[in-house]
Formats: sequence, structure tokens, C-alpha cells
Amino acid sequence: MRVRQIGILLAACVAGGVHAALPDFQVDPAQGARLLLWVSSERGRADAEKTAAQRLAQRGVTVWSLDAPGAYFLPQLPSSMDQVPAADVADWLDAALDSGRQVTVYAVGRAAVPVLRAAARLDAGRRSRICVLLMYPNLYESAEALADADYLDTGRLDALTIRLIQPRRSAATPWLPGQVAHLSRLGARVSLVILENLREGFWARETPTAFEVEQTRQLDSLILQEMETCR
Amino acid sequence: MSLKWPGVGVWCIWAMALWAAPPLSAAGLDSRPAAVAPGLQARDMAGRTHTLEEYRGKVVLLNFWASWCPPCRKEMPSMERLRVKMAGRPLAILALDSVEPVEDVQGFLDTLQLGFPILLDPESANTRRWKVYALPTTFLLDTQGRIRFVLKGGAEWDEGEALEAIEGLLGEANGRDQAL
Repeated sequence: MRVRQIGILLAACVAGGVHAALPDFQVDPAQGARLLLWVSSERGRADAEKTAAQRLAQRGVTVWSLDAPGAYFLPQLPSSMDQVPAADVADWLDAALDSGRQVTVYAVGRAAVPVLRAAARLDAGRRSRICVLLMYPNLYESAEALADADYLDTGRLDALTIRLIQPRRSAATPWLPGQVAHLSRLGARVSLVILENLREGFWARETPTAFEVEQTRQLDSLILQEMETCR
Repeated sequence: MSLKWPGVGVWCIWAMALWAAPPLSAAGLDSRPAAVAPGLQARDMAGRTHTLEEYRGKVVLLNFWASWCPPCRKEMPSMERLRVKMAGRPLAILALDSVEPVEDVQGFLDTLQLGFPILLDPESANTRRWKVYALPTTFLLDTQGRIRFVLKGGAEWDEGEALEAIEGLLGEANGRDQAL
């Protein structure tokens, strides 16, 4: 069952508290103890992502889905994600933690930026209870050819568990060691998973390969596997 | 990336972007102050090692690409047309595949005829040395081996501003030759 609700009301019910500014998000409810906060990329939510969220709910994972450009009326551009209020997302994470469920955050592309900034605002004890799955994160302040890349400031991430999930067929792949080192320097515990024979956003490609089509059907399983091993 | 995503604002944003963007002929070429190029050492599909030094005296179009990258595939035919158009002139085209198994590269090459060298970078050493963060990325080097233009993204290399930039570099070389 899919329920469209105003985020502030729902989170207040779930968390039993009052939150001043939560983003508008969608809920795929389930009875299990696991809660997945899914933050779509700057391109918004693709149909395949909605389907995967529904399947995860059928498998016992409650999913809160945030389409940040839609929620904040921002253009579907990477830079828009940098404008998402970290305080709102931090309140959202707090509401999730207050639910008493096991919380995993799954952020795609540039959505990594507001998620990490929000995580940095939590106290270390609460931060350590979250696992963050970053699907091909884009954390660059600038990345121009012939020059060293600069990373955006996200704040300290001590005790945060991060798993980078990177499709192999990406220009980002050669630069993964630098990204792991950057996040580690911020205090996070970082692990890396490479998805072979896949491209970034494989679930929404105009001309997907047969393998990408197959993996899109299994997107819920892929995420579930990373949730279960990210502790 | 070539992706399809739903969204209420997509078409409005595309329309605004098209309205605000420079014309396609501008191609987004980034003119740079002449700077020494990083080293390049890569083998082609036949196993022969190429370096930039052996192309000194020619304008070089150095393209970083991958077979899984739609804009990379799209611009390849225009690079081949450019090669044919410039036959006999001091222009070298080098296409360096970034971090792919040779079988994947060969699979793509089997689909079209290219007359310029395809270089391999299986360990990403050249990609990292040139600090390439997006594909395709293309560098135009003058006859002295200095970087003069950079383009992130695809282009039609046999027309528009891309061709003008190449002609400009060839013209510089010609002028220098005549002065000598």
C-alpha cells in the first residue's frame, strides 16, 4: 500500500514528537523493525525506484522516500541538492531514529550532500546508529580537468557508517580511493562496493543493457543486501 | 549521462536551460592559457605504445572516452569525419579509452570503422594523471604539445566552433612555419 502523507504530520506521529521543518516525503509502510530513508538524486524519483521502494515494504522494510527537488521546488540540478536545508534533513533523521527502528539512509548522486550535512548535525551517539548507503555520490565542490578536485564541506562525520556503492562503468571509478580517503578523514567508517557491468542510474537509462534491465528488477534486493551487511 | 527521469518540472527546466545556454556551435570549449601537457603513455589495440612526444609538430585531439558512455559513442563518428576531412594536414586524433576491459572496447569498435588510434588505459594511470573526472573529456594540444582547449562533454568535431578551434591551431602552426 502506498500512502501519500504530509511529512510533518506523519513524522510527528511516528516519532511521538514535534518537528519544526521536516521535508515532504512519501511512505511505504511495513511492519518490520527496519526503516530505510531513501533520498533520490537531483533528477527526482524514477519509476523503478518507486517500484523498488514498494517491494522493500513488501519485504518488511518501511521506506520513507524524499524527492528533494520536488519537496523544495528546486530545479533538477546537482547544485539544487546543495540548497536543501540540512536542518530539515537532520530533523528527518532524528524522527527516524526516534521511531526505534533500525535506520539506514540510501542517498543517490548529489543527494549525498544534504544527507551527510544532516548526519554531521547529529550528536555522535545518534550518528553511530545510522548506516548511510551512498549510491555513486557526487561530493565535489569542483572537478575540472587537469586540476585536483575539491570536496564540499559536509562537517565531521565521526562514528558514521558509510558504504559507497559505485557502478563500475563510471568516470568516478578511478577516483574512488580519493573519495574513501576524504570521508575517512572526516571520521566516517567507510566501505566500498563496486557494481560490475553497470552504469550510474542504470535503473533509468534510455538505452539500458539487458543486464541493466535485469538488475533494475532486482534493485530492491541490491539495497536490502547492502542494508543487511552495512553494520 | 543519458537518463530518463520523470518529473513535473523537467520540460520547463530543459526549456529554460536551452534558452539560457549558448548555441550548440559554441560546444563549450574551454580555452586555456598554453600549458605543458601531462605525460601520456598508452598502448593501442595492437599493443604499440604511444606518447605525446611522437606527435610533436602536429595539433593533437586527445579524447578520453568509454564504450559505455552514450555521448562518447555519439561523437566518435564526427571524429572520424574530421580525420578524413583533415587528411594530409598536421592533425593527430587519439582516443584513449578510460578503464575498460579490452573486450568491451573491441566490441564497440566492431560496430564502426575508425582510422585513428584507440589507446587503452586499463589501470587509469593516464586518466588520473590528466585529472579527467567526466567522460567524454577532450583536449586540444598545439603543435608544441601545449594544452590550448578543454571540452567536457561531447561535440561534433567536424563542424562549428570545435572545427574552428582546430583550424585556429593549425593556422598558428602554418603561420609559424611561414615566419621561419
